[in-house]
Amino acid sequence: MAEVSGPSAIVEVDTTDRNRAALRRMFYGRFLRSLSVGFWVMVIAFLMIRLSPGDPVRIALGSEATEASVAEMRHKLGLDQSVFSQFFHYFVNIFKGDLGYSYFSNRTVTSVVTTHLPVTLQIIALSIFLGILLAIPIALFIAQSKNQLTTYLFRAFTSVSLALPGFFLAVVGLYAFGIKLHWAPAAGYEPGFPGNLKYIWLPALVNCGSLVPVLSRVLHSSLMDTLDEEFVETGVIRGVKKIRFYWSYLLRPSLAPTVVLLSYMIGVMIGGTVIMETIFSLPGIGRELITAVDSRDYPVVQGIVMVFGLIVVFFSFIGDLLGYLLDRRVTLS
Amino acid sequence: MTIVNAKPRKRMREGSFGLYTGFSMIFALILGGAIIPWLSKYDPNSPGGTPIAAPSGAHWFGTDLLGRDVFTRVFDAVFIDLGTAIIGVSIPLVVGTIVGTLLGISRNKRVNSVVGSIIDGINAFPFLIFVIAMIAFIGPGIPSIILALSLVNWARYARVARTRAVVVNQQGYVEAARILGFSKVRILFKHIIPNVSSETRAYALSDFIIVIIAVAALSFLGMGTPPPQAEWGAMIHDGTQILALAWWPTIFPGLALCWAGVAIAFVAEGMQRRLRETNTK
Repeated sequence: MAEVSGPSAIVEVDTTDRNRAALRRMFYGRFLRSLSVGFWVMVIAFLMIRLSPGDPVRIALGSEATEASVAEMRHKLGLDQSVFSQFFHYFVNIFKGDLGYSYFSNRTVTSVVTTHLPVTLQIIALSIFLGILLAIPIALFIAQSKNQLTTYLFRAFTSVSLALPGFFLAVVGLYAFGIKLHWAPAAGYEPGFPGNLKYIWLPALVNCGSLVPVLSRVLHSSLMDTLDEEFVETGVIRGVKKIRFYWSYLLRPSLAPTVVLLSYMIGVMIGGTVIMETIFSLPGIGRELITAVDSRDYPVVQGIVMVFGLIVVFFSFIGDLLGYLLDRRVTLS
Repeated sequence: MTIVNAKPRKRMREGSFGLYTGFSMIFALILGGAIIPWLSKYDPNSPGGTPIAAPSGAHWFGTDLLGRDVFTRVFDAVFIDLGTAIIGVSIPLVVGTIVGTLLGISRNKRVNSVVGSIIDGINAFPFLIFVIAMIAFIGPGIPSIILALSLVNWARYARVARTRAVVVNQQGYVEAARILGFSKVRILFKHIIPNVSSETRAYALSDFIIVIIAVAALSFLGMGTPPPQAEWGAMIHDGTQILALAWWPTIFPGLALCWAGVAIAFVAEGMQRRLRETNTK
């Protein structure tokens, strides 16, 4: 044998067909489930506006509105129709990319989302990138260290850092790096990818405060499981090259739970980023959300929340899929 | 973990360290919250005194922009923060456990799939975003925060409870109670719910950390207590306005919040170890 192949390659040879069928079944099942959850996300976002004790139209028009103008606005927004036909219009409009109009500014909700969402997604992407970059070496180091005390300290440290409030860490970061050290600008923003790194590195790093402990802990425990596998021993005996050993023998079979978890952490990241944006005055969608909440701009709140819900549904679908693809052993069972 | 001592003593039970540390930290906080605002010569909420005075013998944690004593204010906020979080965890815990258990043991497929979908739908939204949106519609304030937390969080407990209830429902002791002819209500409350709730209560403890941080975060965003009432999140928010001038009005309430979070984390960790020990015995 000239080339030493990794564990997943060995498995692939004789069970390709069975794997493919299982994968297809899994894909359709997850896809249907995501569609149904996505539908319920829309229903809940639609019903949410009905929670408000006041009449949204009167809030939008202010207290001096005449009866006629209220009735006209009602008709324009379709509020004089039945709930079901309202929902039908809302549902159809989502697919047309129409999320309604802001009460106070002359913008469509769609334009608010499309202008500000990229900033938020960039912060989240950078947080995840930094999070993975930090979590993998930490987990590998702890998993391979034979010292009991290291593992114990690692566990204690991660539990404690998970109990710290992100928004307070952000304020401390702003004080230390923004005001004292001048490493990060305290306010302002510059659009475009490489230029905005100067403004978003600190919020992303603060997000890592909750991301890295979770990721490294899960990765650590799956690495411990992988280390017990026979193929790791085989790899050591065969003297597989370092990088190849780390990737094919240790990380790849262990990454699946971490990837699935990462996709679930998207929701937590979104919540954290919304607060980061208010603290660091970044023009992301979170700050738009807070402004809209303060001014009671219901359609904007509703639209942003629904988009976030759909993003989470989408990413948990992708995460499940990636989890299965990374660890082929899962599809065999 | 073994404790080595000079004289032979009974081995400490698993998780005792976490439980003792956590509970003493919480007890210290509650004790401080009960007596410090009462003993202090400063009023926590009415302005007066030198504004933005650095920490000193007279003002241990300094004063804020309005000249209020930060030390008194930090402890005056204990009951608001802890209380909101406790109620905000208890209501969804009870509602979610009952709804989830009923779903887990019911055989009605249609109800199961509709309520199950609603639960999945609510859980799909990012937690904090959904609570913020709820508050947008029902208005700011502590009661709103509790209502919003309950409306969102029951679904997470219901999911945990449902999975558990399906298992508990098939256990021998439930079967035995049925054969003995006990009423359905009695079986539900005496046999099923206590076993389901051990799971949801464990979840509630880790949820408590998230909720206490969320309560402060919401006040930080201006959706919680109206001024002048002292509250950690609101104090941190007021502090950030003058962060370039003074660090103490921001850092001390933040440390109090961290203290509370870490205390609960210790209790949760200890409880988990204790549970694992009991289960493996």
